Amino acid sequence: MLHIERLTASVGDKTILDGLDLDIAAGEIHAVMGPNGAGKSTLSNVLAGRDGYTTTGTVTFEGGDLLALTPEERAAKGLFLAFQHPVEIPGVGNMYFLHTALNAIRLVRGQPEIGAVDFLALAKEHMARLDMDPAFLSRSVNEGFSGGEKKRNEILQLSLLEPRLAILDETDSGLDIDALRVVGEGVERLRHPERSMLIITHHPRLLEFVRPDRVHVLQAGRIVRTGDHHLARELEAVGYGAAAAR
Amino acid sequence: MTATPAGLLDRLVPPSPPSPRAERGRDWLAAHGLPTTRDEAWRYTPVDDIVGALEAAAPAPASTSQVSRSVVDALAGDHGGPRLVFVNGVFEPRASDAGGAVDGLWLGNRDGMRARPPSPRAAEDQPADGFQALNWAAGRDVAAVLVEPGAQLDQPVHVVHIAAPGEDTTANHPRTVVLAGPGSRVHLIESYVGLPGPSVTNASTRIVAGAGSTVTHHRVQDEAAAAIHVGRTAIDQGARSTLRATSIMTGGHIARSALAIGFDGTDACADIDGLYLPLGHQHHDNVVTVDHRASHCASTQRFTGIVDDHGRGSFSGHVLVRHGTTGTDAHQSNRNLVLAPTAQADTRPWLEILADDVRCTHGATVGRLDDDALFYLRSRGIPLEQGRAMLVAGFAAEIIDAITPATLRDRVAAAFAAGRGG
Repeated sequence: MLHIERLTASVGDKTILDGLDLDIAAGEIHAVMGPNGAGKSTLSNVLAGRDGYTTTGTVTFEGGDLLALTPEERAAKGLFLAFQHPVEIPGVGNMYFLHTALNAIRLVRGQPEIGAVDFLALAKEHMARLDMDPAFLSRSVNEGFSGGEKKRNEILQLSLLEPRLAILDETDSGLDIDALRVVGEGVERLRHPERSMLIITHHPRLLEFVRPDRVHVLQAGRIVRTGDHHLARELEAVGYGAAAAR
Repeated sequence: MTATPAGLLDRLVPPSPPSPRAERGRDWLAAHGLPTTRDEAWRYTPVDDIVGALEAAAPAPASTSQVSRSVVDALAGDHGGPRLVFVNGVFEPRASDAGGAVDGLWLGNRDGMRARPPSPRAAEDQPADGFQALNWAAGRDVAAVLVEPGAQLDQPVHVVHIAAPGEDTTANHPRTVVLAGPGSRVHLIESYVGLPGPSVTNASTRIVAGAGSTVTHHRVQDEAAAAIHVGRTAIDQGARSTLRATSIMTGGHIARSALAIGFDGTDACADIDGLYLPLGHQHHDNVVTVDHRASHCASTQRFTGIVDDHGRGSFSGHVLVRHGTTGTDAHQSNRNLVLAPTAQADTRPWLEILADDVRCTHGATVGRLDDDALFYLRSRGIPLEQGRAMLVAGFAAEIIDAITPATLRDRVAAAFAAGRGG
């Protein structure tokens, strides 16, 4: 599904990712954990195609060169990034945004467009599972949403767009325990043999609801240790420095 | 002000002014002339180009066979209510639909107005500037909308001013008068549109909102690509009156819209929206003045500019709170989106507060498209150009979504999308 080899990323003369290797097979859930400044957000940004980074190394996604694609091409190919800080877009209705995104992706995939009526029903069905008020559809994208509402809106998009690889960037940050449960259960429900997930996080909180197949420790721009879900507990108990040294 | 170019009066103004107002306009213009960019209120407007076009212009022909109902439908739309159509400033009954008798509403032109008792204040009016003086002196007709006290009009009244130039530049001077009686409710749509060709439209609109009246006014300037437009709208509000005004500018080559609102009685309020979209080499200027000369009135200005290519847009917003008034609530915002390095947006808030008990805010922004928002849309599979279009439309949505009726809102949205290549 995703194969990353010797990936470096820099901004100006500052190297942030420094020879990162990572393999995620279909259906697996991986967690990348690390302290602030380790390069977690850079990893998600580079994978999703944000401008501003100079990269070397290779990233192969579904057999093709991921780094050669535009952000929208990556999305159409099945990559999804749940943002750490979802962007507020005044004046653009949430429903219009979701509907446009879904049809843009379906168009590239050769699937027929979904009409407005069918889309509304579909969106409401997904929202009900995430305990979201349908009123969120008629508001502007993320505008005035609380932190928890924004994160739920991300998971709603994840659920509607049905990606092959979902990257969750600090999705657990800023959530209270109830919101964390809803989001965590929402993610767990999306587990599928054909869908992989990469959970990028500072805290292991979300991992109480979503059990990862592999846990990686990211430090100074590279993976320094890999283990199973027990590693997350260990990190919480002894901290990144000590865990990385073992 | 400068001396009026020699010959301009002779060429554009009829030798014997048809009314005392026309005579006042001619005398005022002869004495004071047209404005220049040295005049503060005209500093952003290429007024020399406008005067140059006027100097070369001939009076527009009074009648033209080019304007049928279907042409008016295509240019300005049909918004359900009565429609008065003026071509080159002269009433065109064949394309109009005065709508039979609507209770409490009188629609007409100069001929009909002559049969009515003159308004007492009309005799004292003085022009605000040389263009308005020229409008009075050279104008040949007037669109009149008179609403009786207490009348509640459900359907919008649509006044359409069409510039129908020939091969050479022609000048026309449409005038509109709206008197909303005390306690009445009226929705006026003013459309300024045109057939292709070089024209100069010099428009003047006067609205008097009686005590306790509710007036909605949508002014849409969507003239042809070669058109020059100078418009002035003066709205006087009585006590407890409510105004919702919107000014949309999509068309023309050089266009300036001045809006002067004055509170003559207490406890009145005005919500004033504006949207301007200069593209190509278009130039759109907005000059808004809100005169809080009565106490306990509230005004809110929301103007949004989207400038692209070599377009230039400006907003000058003057709030005047007079000495001796109290309880004024005045707000102003001007947001600009600059989409090309060659485009330019100017914003000039001017708050002149001569009273103590005032709540007054203003804000102005000039920015580019939000890269983070664009990346967010693209990361969801929305292609770059479509994402840009969504963000630009979103920037204008606050103003467009508030437009009524839906037929006009859809029309403005379509003109917006067409201009943006959407």
